[in-house]
Amino acid sequence: AADKIRLIPQDFFAELCEQIIQHLNHKIPGINTAELCQRIQTSGVDINTGDLAKIANTLSFLFSTAARNNLSTEELVTTLGSGIGTLPKHAVQVIRHVWNEQGKAIAVSEDAGNMATVGQFVDMKWKLGVAMSSDTCRSLKYPYVTVTLTVADPSGQITDKSFEMTIPQFKNFFRQFKEMASVLETV
Amino acid sequence: MAALRDGDFAALQILLKAPSKDAVRQLCQECFSSPPAALGPLAQRACPGLAVSAQEAEQLVSALHSLTRHVVYRGLTRAEDILCLFPENFHQNLKNLLTKIILENISAWRNEAQASQISLPRLVDMDWRVDIKTSSDSIARMAVPTCLLQLKIQEDAALCGDNPVVSALTVELSKETLDTMLEGLGRIRDQLSAVANK
Repeated sequence: AADKIRLIPQDFFAELCEQIIQHLNHKIPGINTAELCQRIQTSGVDINTGDLAKIANTLSFLFSTAARNNLSTEELVTTLGSGIGTLPKHAVQVIRHVWNEQGKAIAVSEDAGNMATVGQFVDMKWKLGVAMSSDTCRSLKYPYVTVTLTVADPSGQITDKSFEMTIPQFKNFFRQFKEMASVLETV
Repeated sequence: MAALRDGDFAALQILLKAPSKDAVRQLCQECFSSPPAALGPLAQRACPGLAVSAQEAEQLVSALHSLTRHVVYRGLTRAEDILCLFPENFHQNLKNLLTKIILENISAWRNEAQASQISLPRLVDMDWRVDIKTSSDSIARMAVPTCLLQLKIQEDAALCGDNPVVSALTVELSKETLDTMLEGLGRIRDQLSAVANK
């Protein structure tokens, strides 16, 4: 991971650390690894989403452990030296700065939403479409619903999952959700 | 879907050698359902039953595939429309038999075509559970209801062939996020009603 950190330009690295700290502070639902990775790639750096995710995980673990142990900035920097191996100077600088500004604010959270063992739902986007024609049927008029779920996985990385439903499937989907809601009410 | 060529209709008449009407019916269904790449093996399997050469079997299977797919593509549903696809000198009884078989199957075939057209991954199953979180390493006592949802999503059938890849997506929802979801779904339902009423 240390090798790849070397490749990330300082401003992107700072942005990544910012997102991680904000996620640990429950200010944002997750870390937009895929989106950040795309921008880093556009700037000419050869790094893939998997590598960026590993780096994000490592940093997240570093920050949350430091928070739990109430490390000061100097203690954190010393731990860095022995833990992750040789980090580039600019990375250490960013970490020191970010921790100084916001590290102390990471409270051991009294939030019940913290125990992420599965993905956390973030958002849902939808589209209602009608397929007019295809290579198998010239005249289709087939309605369908497309849904994109945005989910923050247990490590905080945000991913999108898209899928299609027929109209009867959608109606069942809706019915199930109403039932879930009513159970949540009464429980 | 290109219209059939004369050679195709000549090949179709090989069906006159079929042992029974059911054999013709069976072959029609297999030829429709088979993707173009699988027509070769299908022809090989059909060969012995028809007592024809491998080449003739291939021509027949290809012609039958084209005919059935063409009818579904054009959305033909009436006997007259199907009958007039055949050339003047085509064997009367065979023409009537094929038309009859096609009409019997057209509805199922159309559904099959719709189900196998390109699409985003499809939702195939959904399971859910409501839990109450009672305690954790950071909070000794609480009673927070939470919902666990598991969606089974199948990747595009066209890409996977016979071994569809199904992935499971497990998501936790709180009361707030569930309400957000319901709101979105309610809007879809409203749109559906609006479209249905047009």
